[in-house]
Amino acid sequence: MTPPAIEVENLRKVYSSAFGRRKITALERVDISVPQGEVFGLLGPNGAGKTTMVKILLDLTRPTEGTARILGVPVSRAVSRRRVGYLPEGHRFPGYLTARETLSIFGRMSGLDGAALRARIPLMLERVHLSPWAEVRVKKFSKGMTQRLGLAAAMIHDPLVLLLDEPTDGVDPVGRREIRDLLKAEAREGKAIFLNSHLLSEIELTCDRVAVLRKGYVAATGRIEDLTRREPRYRMVSDPMDERLVASFLETGAGVERSNGHLLLTVRDVEHLNALIDRARTTGVSLHEVTPVRSTLEDVFVDLIRTDDPGAEVGAS
Amino acid sequence: MRFLLVNIEEVFREAAARWTLLAYFFLSTLFIIVFAAAINLDIVDGTLAGARLFGQDVEMGGQQVNLDRLVLGFEATFSAFLYMLGTFLAIFATAHLVPRLQDKGTIDLYLSRPVGRVPLLLSRYVAGLVLAATNVIYLVGAIWLLVVWKTGVVHARFLIGAGIIIFVIAALLAFAFLVGTITSSTAVSIMSTYALFFVSAMLMGHDRIEAAMSSIWNARLIHALWYILPKTSDLGRTTVAFVSEGQMGGPEVFGTITLFPFVSTAVFGLACLALASWVFQRKEF
Repeated sequence: MTPPAIEVENLRKVYSSAFGRRKITALERVDISVPQGEVFGLLGPNGAGKTTMVKILLDLTRPTEGTARILGVPVSRAVSRRRVGYLPEGHRFPGYLTARETLSIFGRMSGLDGAALRARIPLMLERVHLSPWAEVRVKKFSKGMTQRLGLAAAMIHDPLVLLLDEPTDGVDPVGRREIRDLLKAEAREGKAIFLNSHLLSEIELTCDRVAVLRKGYVAATGRIEDLTRREPRYRMVSDPMDERLVASFLETGAGVERSNGHLLLTVRDVEHLNALIDRARTTGVSLHEVTPVRSTLEDVFVDLIRTDDPGAEVGAS
Repeated sequence: MRFLLVNIEEVFREAAARWTLLAYFFLSTLFIIVFAAAINLDIVDGTLAGARLFGQDVEMGGQQVNLDRLVLGFEATFSAFLYMLGTFLAIFATAHLVPRLQDKGTIDLYLSRPVGRVPLLLSRYVAGLVLAATNVIYLVGAIWLLVVWKTGVVHARFLIGAGIIIFVIAALLAFAFLVGTITSSTAVSIMSTYALFFVSAMLMGHDRIEAAMSSIWNARLIHALWYILPKTSDLGRTTVAFVSEGQMGGPEVFGTITLFPFVSTAVFGLACLALASWVFQRKEF
């Protein structure tokens, strides 16, 4: 059986200040499994534990409790990183190297020999659209170009697992789309991609599944369409409605909110919605628009982050 | 092995890009040029011509001095100077290797590769040592060649003296790596290594210092430090005595060169390296 690309069980990380006087829990009882071929997004506000999670996966920091494995190999073993590519946030490649030299140095550090490097370097430069800048020193690169070079360096040794921390940070919209397409193509080839980002729209467009971290806990995990699926809501734009009509809506069990001159209706189903429309029409109210309201990942994220109980987990899959 | 070679290449590239390599070799070259100019002075040429004409003796201060012994004396004096110069330049040029590696945004790039932390640290150490050794060999080798060209006297001992200098640099660099691993500061690494050099040198007179101590515990502490710390001064004298075949540095030094300074300095260096590896291995980034 193929092991999951990434597997963490009951992961806990407590940081201690000097002399252990103050303790900060960065991760608490985290269980995540990412199969190969999946694009997985890790979300959370600042200080939620996202970076700690990635650092544990790379053995940059050690868990207080629990286990973490990559492709079935414990992360404490250097060999676990043989098929892992990592793009850290705010990475700093030596500015005196050219793009080609950077890929050569980091490719060799990942175990590539001369023949493999000669094949992979032009290919990766092409894939991140840096071929014309292959011989330019990194210190002359813009932030977006540096980010794309970082992505190429992470993928130079053709890893099976990609850990990416804010991969589109500083990249223009066209570049973002190119990176998204690149990551999706990698996933189609069976690679697992673990994305750590604040950009919810990027996550929504790229990821198959997400986990939301809040104060070290997994507050929600599941497929995006499952997390964003809620009770049917509709926006009703009409002539002004009197309070008696609104009260009659409430009597049917519908949820009613007034917002910017229109109504937001929460109903059981389409039949229920039609019943409310009939009531409005019989009182002579003219309807201008009835449209479904979709909740976005951002809505879900904000709702989860505002929840008081940090340990309350929402599972959607 | 590939990983080690990549690190050596990167250290040299970095040194070149940051002008360290150029400054490092420029200072050495400047010293070589000054030396070459000095041995081309008329007075030196005249003395050497006289020596060639009237046998291998040179008149100095009313005394006949054998040319071979004179060259030995020159080489020994230079070896003492090169011992200091080579060591100080080496620490200055390489102490940044660990602190800069540990910079945020840099360390992640290295540790995410499939290589253990200890091999990473040790490969940086070897790379730094290769850089320093290259400079020492360049410096000593160039002066040796100038002396051979000018006098025709060939002393292999002067070249071997470079080995002792590199040995001391290896021990001090291990200490600089330990401090760099703990503090992540280049400045602290350099300052503490230079301080170690001088404190160790002062401990050469540990017998007298111990005798001057009012407390037995303080005396024992001084004695313990003398045992533990590298023998920078002893090894400096040993280098001079070795190169001059006992003419300088004291015949008593030449006659009593023992392995103890070498062994204790090597143990100190290895202990520093082991401790640096342990700290680096356990460190969280």
